[in-house]
Amino acid sequence: MKKTPERIELLAAEYVLGSLKGQARRRFERWMMESARVREEVWYWEEKLGHLGSQAEDRPPPVSVWRGIEARLWPAKAANDSAGRWLWPGWSLVATAAALVMAVVLVQQPQPQLGERLSGAIVQADLADPLWLVSGSDAARGLKLRPVAATAAQTGKDYELWIVPQDGNPVSLGVIPEGNTYQVTLDDETRALLDRSRTLAISLEPVGGSPTGAPTGPILHVAKLYEL
Amino acid sequence: MAIETSQDELLALLLAVARKDRQAFQRLYEQISGRMFGLCLKLAKQQDLAEEAVQDAFVQIWHHASEYHNDRGAPLSWMMTIARYRTLDLMRSRKARATDGDGPLDRVEDHREGPLDRSLRSAGEQALTGCIEELSDVQRDSILLSYYRGMTHDELAVALSSPVGTVKSWVRRGLMALKRCLER
Repeated sequence: MKKTPERIELLAAEYVLGSLKGQARRRFERWMMESARVREEVWYWEEKLGHLGSQAEDRPPPVSVWRGIEARLWPAKAANDSAGRWLWPGWSLVATAAALVMAVVLVQQPQPQLGERLSGAIVQADLADPLWLVSGSDAARGLKLRPVAATAAQTGKDYELWIVPQDGNPVSLGVIPEGNTYQVTLDDETRALLDRSRTLAISLEPVGGSPTGAPTGPILHVAKLYEL
Repeated sequence: MAIETSQDELLALLLAVARKDRQAFQRLYEQISGRMFGLCLKLAKQQDLAEEAVQDAFVQIWHHASEYHNDRGAPLSWMMTIARYRTLDLMRSRKARATDGDGPLDRVEDHREGPLDRSLRSAGEQALTGCIEELSDVQRDSILLSYYRGMTHDELAVALSSPVGTVKSWVRRGLMALKRCLER
C-alpha cells in the first residue's frame, strides 16, 4: 500500500483512536518505524485525542497498584517494604550460601595453578542484594551467572549478557534465562577478551535477544570482574 | 490528588524520571495515577484490567521517560496515551481468549442509557474545544465510543444498529472533519 499523505493522515487517526486493528495496525506500526512523517502524524493525533483522555474522572487506584509497580521495578525494596517478609529469609539464605561458597573457595582452593578465578556481582545502586553473582574459572572455561535479586525482564523483553571488550563492539554471551543459573562456555577468543577487559554488560532486548548482534536496547548494567 | 497539575510541573517530573529519580517518579504517580486509572476504567470497565494497565503504563513511563519530547504533545497526553494503548492491548488479548463461541453481540455491553452517556459527550465537547460539535451525531458518537470504550468497527455497528461499512465511514469522515476544524 502506498504512503499517500491522505492515507497517512487517515490511518494515523484511526491508529490513535484504536479502530485500526489486526494486520492493518501492525502494517501501520511498520510505517511508523520507517517514516518520521508518519510518526509526526501519529503524535499529532495522540496530542489532540489525548485531551479526551485528560477529561476522564479522577479515580485513585488501590494502593496495590503502586506496590505492584515498585515490585516490578525494584524487587528487593518492595519485598522489604511490604508483605513479602517471607522472601527475606530466602534471600539471606542465598547470601549466606554465597558467603560459604566464597569461604570454601578461599580456604580450599588457593592453588594458582588451577587457573585464575574471576568473580563479581551485577549490582544496582539502590539495592542491597546483587542482581546476579558472576563467577568464572579458567579450568572450566566457563562463566556462571547466578540470579540473586534479579527479576524477569518486562513482558516481551529478555536480558542479554555481553562482554565489553577494551575496544571494539560488545560480544554477545546470549540471553539470560529467567530464574536459573546461566552458564556459558567461552572459547579462547572470548575468554581472552574477557580476561583483558574484565567487563560484562546486560542490555534489555526483544525476546530471543538482539536481532542485530549488537545491543539494541538500553544497557542496564555494567560490571567489572575481579580475580579471586 | 491534585486535579490541576500544570503541564510544566509534569514536564519537570518527567525529566527527573528520565534521570531515574525515584522520588520524582512517585510524585508523578501521585499526580496522575487517578486520572489515568479513571481513563483505563472507563475504557475497560474492568477493575483488574484497568489496574494492570496502569501498572504496565507506569513501568513503561519509568523506562521510556527519556524518549518524551515536545513533538509528542503535552506530557499528560503522552502518558495517558501510553495507558490507553496498554488498556486496548489488554482488552484485545482478553477478548481474543474469550471469543470462542461468542458472537459479537455477547461482547457488547448493556446500553440502557443509550450508546453514549451524557458524561462522555460533555467530556468530548470540553476536550476538543467545540470541534466535536461540528460533527454529525453519528460521527461524534462513533469517535467517542471508539476512544472511550475501545469499540471495534463490528461492535460500533451493533451499538449503533448500522452496517459495518457505514460505521467505518462515519469514523473516518468524522476524524478528518475534526482535523480540519482543529487546524482552523
